[in-house]
Amino acid sequence: MTTEALYLSPTAKLPYCRGCGHSLVVRQLSNALERLGLPPRSIVLTTDIGCVGLADSLFPYLHTVHTTHGRSTAFATGMALADAAMEPQGLKPIVMIGDGGAMIGLLHLVHAAQLNVDITVLLHNNFMFGMTGGQHSALSPLNWVTATTPDGNSIPPLDILALLRTAHATFLARQFATSPDLATTIADAINYPGFSVVEIVELCTAYGTRWNQATGASLKEIADRQGYAIGELETEIERPTFRDLYRHEQNVRKPKRAKPPVPRLNTTAQLKNEVRVVLAGTAGERVQSAAALLCRAALSVGLYSTQKNDNPVTQGSGFSLSEICLSPKPIDYTGMECPDVVLAVSDEGWKELQANGTVAACREETLLFVDSQIEAHPPMGCVVPLPLRREANPKRAALAAIAAWLENNPLLPPEAWDAALAADPAERRAESLAALEVGRRLGGECVKSS
Amino acid sequence: MLAEGALAAGCRFFAGYPITPASEIYEVMMRELPTRGGLALSAPDEISSLCYCVGASLRGLKAMTATSGPGWALMIETVQYALMTETPIVVALVQRLGPSTGGATQGAQGDIWLAEFSTSGGYTLPVFSPSNAAESYELAIHAFNWAERLRTPVILLSDKEVGMTSEVVNDEALQIPDLVNRKRATATADYAPYAVQEPETVPAFAAVGEEIKTTVTGSAHDPQGRLRKNSPQVINVLQRLQRKIEAHAEEMALVRPDLDPDARCLLISYGVTARAARQAVEILRGEGLRVSFLQIQSLFPIPRKWLDWATAGVEMVFVAEENLTGQYRAALTPYLSGKRIFGINQIGHLISPSHIARAVEGLMA
Repeated sequence: MTTEALYLSPTAKLPYCRGCGHSLVVRQLSNALERLGLPPRSIVLTTDIGCVGLADSLFPYLHTVHTTHGRSTAFATGMALADAAMEPQGLKPIVMIGDGGAMIGLLHLVHAAQLNVDITVLLHNNFMFGMTGGQHSALSPLNWVTATTPDGNSIPPLDILALLRTAHATFLARQFATSPDLATTIADAINYPGFSVVEIVELCTAYGTRWNQATGASLKEIADRQGYAIGELETEIERPTFRDLYRHEQNVRKPKRAKPPVPRLNTTAQLKNEVRVVLAGTAGERVQSAAALLCRAALSVGLYSTQKNDNPVTQGSGFSLSEICLSPKPIDYTGMECPDVVLAVSDEGWKELQANGTVAACREETLLFVDSQIEAHPPMGCVVPLPLRREANPKRAALAAIAAWLENNPLLPPEAWDAALAADPAERRAESLAALEVGRRLGGECVKSS
Repeated sequence: MLAEGALAAGCRFFAGYPITPASEIYEVMMRELPTRGGLALSAPDEISSLCYCVGASLRGLKAMTATSGPGWALMIETVQYALMTETPIVVALVQRLGPSTGGATQGAQGDIWLAEFSTSGGYTLPVFSPSNAAESYELAIHAFNWAERLRTPVILLSDKEVGMTSEVVNDEALQIPDLVNRKRATATADYAPYAVQEPETVPAFAAVGEEIKTTVTGSAHDPQGRLRKNSPQVINVLQRLQRKIEAHAEEMALVRPDLDPDARCLLISYGVTARAARQAVEILRGEGLRVSFLQIQSLFPIPRKWLDWATAGVEMVFVAEENLTGQYRAALTPYLSGKRIFGINQIGHLISPSHIARAVEGLMA
C-alpha cells in the first residue's frame, strides 16, 4: 500500500458540488497527512454536521467520528483530554467544521483554545449554510446574498480567529481553499503540539456563487474587504499544552488527605430512640459545621446520624440551618415532622424556623434553647434563653448550644467530642473545646435554676 | 458516596459544571480523580461537559458527569448522541425543584419524565434511583456496569435530599457488584462497529486511537457505521438499540421489597420518598393494617416481573413520589391493569411518613 492510499484514496469519488472548496480541502488534508507520514490510527477525523461531515467515508483508514452540529470540537477535545491521561498516548483529533458549526459551537472552540488541547480545527468558511439551502451564517460578509438575506447581509461577520486570539490560541492561520500553500498550512497546524485552527476561506458553489458575484479569484478581495490577514498569523508566545500541564500536575500533585475516619470508642451512647434536632443560625457562623461535629461525635459511640442542611441560594448570607437525626438504628425519613430539640442561635435562624414551619411543629415537650438576644414568641414548647452569642461568641454559639442541650440530656460521653475533634488542627480544636465548655456551663446553670 | 461509587466502578474521567445540588460530586471528582490516574475537568457549560465525557469514553475511559435539571436539559442532545453511537456514559442527575431554575436548594422528584423520555424515537434509557448514601454508592457501580455492558447512556437519578444529606454508612453492609467492562473487539480487518452476532445485542467496542479502525456516527447508520438511507440494515441497527435494553430488562431490575402475602394494598416508592414510605408502612402495620411495600431502584426499564409478583393478590396500589403529576405512577400504570391506582404526591418539601400513612388509610377506608 502506498502512503498516499493510507489517507484519501486517489480514486475516491468526492461527494461535493462541482467547484466546491471542500473538495480542495480534503485533497490538501490528505497531502498534508502524507507529508507528515502520521500513522493513520493516530488520527481521528471528527466531522461536524453539513457538507464537511461527508468527509469521513473518504478516509477509510483513519478513525472517524461524525458528531452533532457544532459539537465536533467538544467531542474531539474530550478524546484528546482522555488521551492525555492515558498511556500510550499520541492521538491527534482533526476537526472538520463549517462556519455555521463554528458559531453554534463557538464555546467549544474558545475552551479548546484556552485549554491548549492538542487538536487541529479545519474551519471551512464558505460564508453560509450550504447543506440546508444557503442560509446566512454569523460569518457571512456584509452584503452577502443568502436564502435568508435576499437583499444582502447587513450584520457584520465574526472574525473568529481574532476572537480565538483573545482565548490565547497559539496557532492561528487563514488560507484560501485555492491556495497552493494550503497543504503546508494544514501540515503545520497538525504538527503543532497544542490547539491549532486553520480558517479555510472558500465558496459554496451551490448557493454562494449563484447569488453573489464571486469566484475563486475574488476570495482575496472578500478577505481584504473584511481586513482578514492570510497565512499563519502571529500569536502570543508559546505556552504549555494541556498534555504538558497534566503531566506536570501528575508529578507535583500530592493526594489530598480526606478527613480521617472518626475513631470508634468502646462506650455506647445513652440513646434508646431516635432524637431529632434542628439547629438554626446565620450563614458563616459555623452552624452546619457544628452539626457535622455533633454527627461525628455520635458516630464515635456507634450512633447513626443524618444531617440535612438548608440555606438560601446564596452561600454566605442569610440563615443557615441543619436538621440532625441521631438514632441507635439506621435512619429512614430525614425530615422533621416534629423536632425533639430546637437550637436557635441567631435572629435570622429563628426567623427561618418560623417561616419554614418548624416553630409551629413544636410540641409541648420540644426543648427550645434560644439565644437570649432572640425575641422568641413560640406558640408552644419549653423555651430556655441562654446568652450563647455573648458568652461563646457568635461563631461558636451553635456548638455551645449543642453542648448546653447535651448537658441537660447527656446522650454522649465527653470523650465522644475528643474523638470527633481528633482530626482538627490544634487551634480549631481548642476553639471548639472552649465553645463546648461555655455551652456546658450555661446548660448546667439552667439545669440548676430549673 | 455517589462519586465514591463511581470511582470504585472504575470511572476515570469526569467533566463538570457547577450546579446545586450536584456540585458536591463535581468537587469530589476534581479532588480525587487526578490522584487515581484519571482526569477531572471544569467544562464551560453542560453541553461541553457531556461532550467531553463522550469523547473520553470513545477513547476508552469510563466517564461520568453530574448535573441537575437545568443542566440536564442542555445535555439531552449529547445523551442522544451517546445512545446512537453506543458510547457508555453515566450521568448523575441530582434533581432539584423545577421547572426552569426552580428551587436550587430544594429537593424534588420531578425529572422522571425529563430523564427517561428525552430521546427522539422514545428509546429506553436505564435509570437507577438511590434513596440514601449507601445506595448511591451501590447504584453508581450498577450504573457503570450497565453502561459498559450495554454500551449505552445510564442515568443515576438522585435528588438534593439524597445527594446533599450527610449520613452514616455502614460500609460492611454495602452490596457491591463485580465490575463490568465493555467487551472489546479483537483485531480483525473487517471490524464493523455496529455489527453483532445474533443472539448478541451489543457490538464489541474499538476505542478511537487504537489499532482497530473505528467509525462512529450519530446519524442513522448500517452495521459498518455508514450513512444509508432507506436501508433495512439501518432500521435493524435502530431496532437493536432498543432491543438490547429490553433483552436485559429483567437482569437490570433492582428492587427492595417488603411484602405481606395477605396485604390487599401495595405501596410503591423510590428515591428519597422511599425512606418515608418505609416508615409509613411501619406506622400502618403498627395500626394493624396489612400493607406491602416495594422500593424500586431501577426505575427504567420498568421491573415488570417484580411488579407482577408484588401486585399479585393486591387490589390497590399507591405510588408515593415528590412531584405534582405522579410521573412514575403514570409510567407504571400500563403494567398495573385491574388495580386501583392512587398517587401520593407533594412538592416543595419531603413527603413525611405520617402524610403517606394518612393518605393510605384514607384511601383504604
